[in-house]
Amino acid sequence: MAAPTPKTADTASFRRSPAEIMRLARMGSAHPTRLSFLRVLLRRIKKENWRFGRPVWDVDANGVGSAVYRAKGPERAYSLVAFAHDLAPEMRTDRVIASVWDATFALFDGEPAVADLDRLKANVPLQEAGRISPGELSLSRANRSVRLFDHVVDSLAIGRQPDRAEVEAVGYLMRTTAVYGSGKFGAADRERIADRSELAAPFQAEMLLVWLIRQFTIDIVEHLAAAKGGRDAVKLDPAIKRELGVGNSTGLGMAPFLVRHPLLLHNWMKARDEALARVRAIPKATDETVQAFEDALAAARENARRWHSEHPIQTEKLADLRADLDRVAGRLETAPWAGPHPWDEFWRWGRRLTLEGQEALLSLLLEPHADLVDSLADCMSADETAVFRIDGAMTVGAMRDLLERHYDWALSIDFSEPSSIARFWYVSEEKLEPRLGNRIGELGAEREQPLGIARLACDFHEELGGSHEDASLAEFLLSHPEHRYMARRAQAAADHPFAEIRDNLIADDMLPIDLMRCKLAFFGASRFDPRSDKWVRISLFQDEPYPSDFYEPSQA
Amino acid sequence: MRPEQSDPALVDLEPSAGGVMRLSCNEAEALCHKAARGAGHSWGLAEEAGFAARWLYARGIDGLGALLAHLDQKALEAPNAALIDDVFRAKDGGHLCPIAVGAALSDYAALNRKTFRIEPLHEPILVLPFLHQIACVSDHPMALTWTGGHVVVSAAGRIAGDLSELADTGMAKICVAPAPKSALPLLAARDPATVEGETISRLEAYAMRTTVPASTTSRSDAGSESSDND
Repeated sequence: MAAPTPKTADTASFRRSPAEIMRLARMGSAHPTRLSFLRVLLRRIKKENWRFGRPVWDVDANGVGSAVYRAKGPERAYSLVAFAHDLAPEMRTDRVIASVWDATFALFDGEPAVADLDRLKANVPLQEAGRISPGELSLSRANRSVRLFDHVVDSLAIGRQPDRAEVEAVGYLMRTTAVYGSGKFGAADRERIADRSELAAPFQAEMLLVWLIRQFTIDIVEHLAAAKGGRDAVKLDPAIKRELGVGNSTGLGMAPFLVRHPLLLHNWMKARDEALARVRAIPKATDETVQAFEDALAAARENARRWHSEHPIQTEKLADLRADLDRVAGRLETAPWAGPHPWDEFWRWGRRLTLEGQEALLSLLLEPHADLVDSLADCMSADETAVFRIDGAMTVGAMRDLLERHYDWALSIDFSEPSSIARFWYVSEEKLEPRLGNRIGELGAEREQPLGIARLACDFHEELGGSHEDASLAEFLLSHPEHRYMARRAQAAADHPFAEIRDNLIADDMLPIDLMRCKLAFFGASRFDPRSDKWVRISLFQDEPYPSDFYEPSQA
Repeated sequence: MRPEQSDPALVDLEPSAGGVMRLSCNEAEALCHKAARGAGHSWGLAEEAGFAARWLYARGIDGLGALLAHLDQKALEAPNAALIDDVFRAKDGGHLCPIAVGAALSDYAALNRKTFRIEPLHEPILVLPFLHQIACVSDHPMALTWTGGHVVVSAAGRIAGDLSELADTGMAKICVAPAPKSALPLLAARDPATVEGETISRLEAYAMRTTVPASTTSRSDAGSESSDND
């Protein structure tokens, strides 16, 4: 039986402030939790007893062809349409500048007819250069991990299982290099699907697409091994299979998202902190939850052991994480479980850990408490149009007060220091991808994107000082349209305290990968592996079940 | 079986110079947002331009074409609207910008100044989305009147009146005021419009003005420090 959801008053004193949570260093240490979007999807699939199948598999011995995977929920069906290609190694790049991939995908709304497949075959392999329709929800592509993919095919073909160390070192057979949704390239607009319960939480269509791709990556290696080895070939050991996720490789393209969607960011961060507050507010721990915490800790330590990165930033963080998880295990032995609010006591003890350890502890604390936490996933979408209109009746004085209250962190930055404005965000003409430039030494700063929110807030605050405080914002903006962007954000932030990242995103020491890690952790990504300060690989769905675990009997 | 040609989801997917294209609403908004910025609007007004074009496009009206016609007027650099005694005038004697005026009308909505006269402005149809915002705030339909007719927008975002005449009006003096409820029959709701390929490519040309040409540094800095072919 589910425990009653605590009332607001019960958790208020356990909530943290935006000043604590909304710092880039902490966000860049985020771990996936029960509220991560892939976990939300998998819970629904189990709860609603979704059924899966693979109605089309038309792939030749060279691994070229197409496949369709079907996901059937209680009300609607969705299909992954996959195209497998023969890619020359020298053509393989994860960058958005690529024009060919090992495999390309679309998530179709329903079950595609032959005509749909023809249309998709003419467009999906082209990715950005093609067009899809409102009948599709998402578009994606993936490249092989050459090292592991070939090793697995070769091993299975001669009747052997792949080397566990190789599997562990890479963690996936293919990695997606972009997953597009929300109306991109002609796909369905979010409004078209937002009222469907199964797609109401953020990124559910994209997560479903990636999960179905995971099945495809297994099917294609087994198919190629059978083509190569004939009767000698074997299937992949289920234990190894489970260890494999889908990789994802991403650059700066993802980084601006959290800045451009302040309302979503607020809802995500608020839901996660409310979840923690509910756990901290529990008066007594049960034996079952303590046991579940221990199990989650053991899994986290195993995950940390298998998590590899060669990037200096991440190797240091991994060392911190492993040491911190050891300390958590030590604390578990002596924790005062009999005292009041034992989980809160544990959390407060954990403040001595590094940020990496604290964020891991947050995830662990949520894990045993499905009944308190999981329903918060329903609060993680956002209707951004609701905060679009500016309230021009607000006075200049009230807007100044608002900025001083909610943007104090920005107003305290000295923007006359060159280090405070060292960088600028821009969009490249070449591939229309976001990039980060150095203000001194690189051209293009006059075309800066408005992501340096702290500086915009400072400029706005200063300009407001030149107007009478009783003047209306409407009047101010009529003669100062350049502050309209910041005025809108500030009004939204007043009611959404977790909407802004409280750091200077154009400072010389800002790390873009921190933005990416935060977003990816909300997706449910693990094994964060930076390849530079602007480029990262991760894994999705590792250690989770497969669609084939839910195949209809005829497909099994 | 081939899909019916009338299926809006499945026609006109191929961009072609002389043809038409169907964009998602999200694409229409993003393109117009960037184009407005590239043409010289501030970021905040560029957002309003994206909002306005999308609002029209989603209702089967050529908002992208209207925005393009406005951006082609090249009068965006400096704010030129002044509001004196509920009349918006151009300080420099030129024509007003429908995005700046529309946004200002919306800003003033909560100040109980519900009737405004507006000196000649370009593409008056671009003001309709802002009237919807005002109608939502006041829960009352709003009317746009000019010498050629009038159009009413309800709080539910439905339209009544001389819409096609307004769409054909490149410049006009207008009056914006609360309208009597249910005075006019609502026009039938329409699906999102298609867009001329030419309109898209010209908006894209404006949008490209927000981008920075690649340098060797930026290109090499954007990717992984190690090979992807591993």
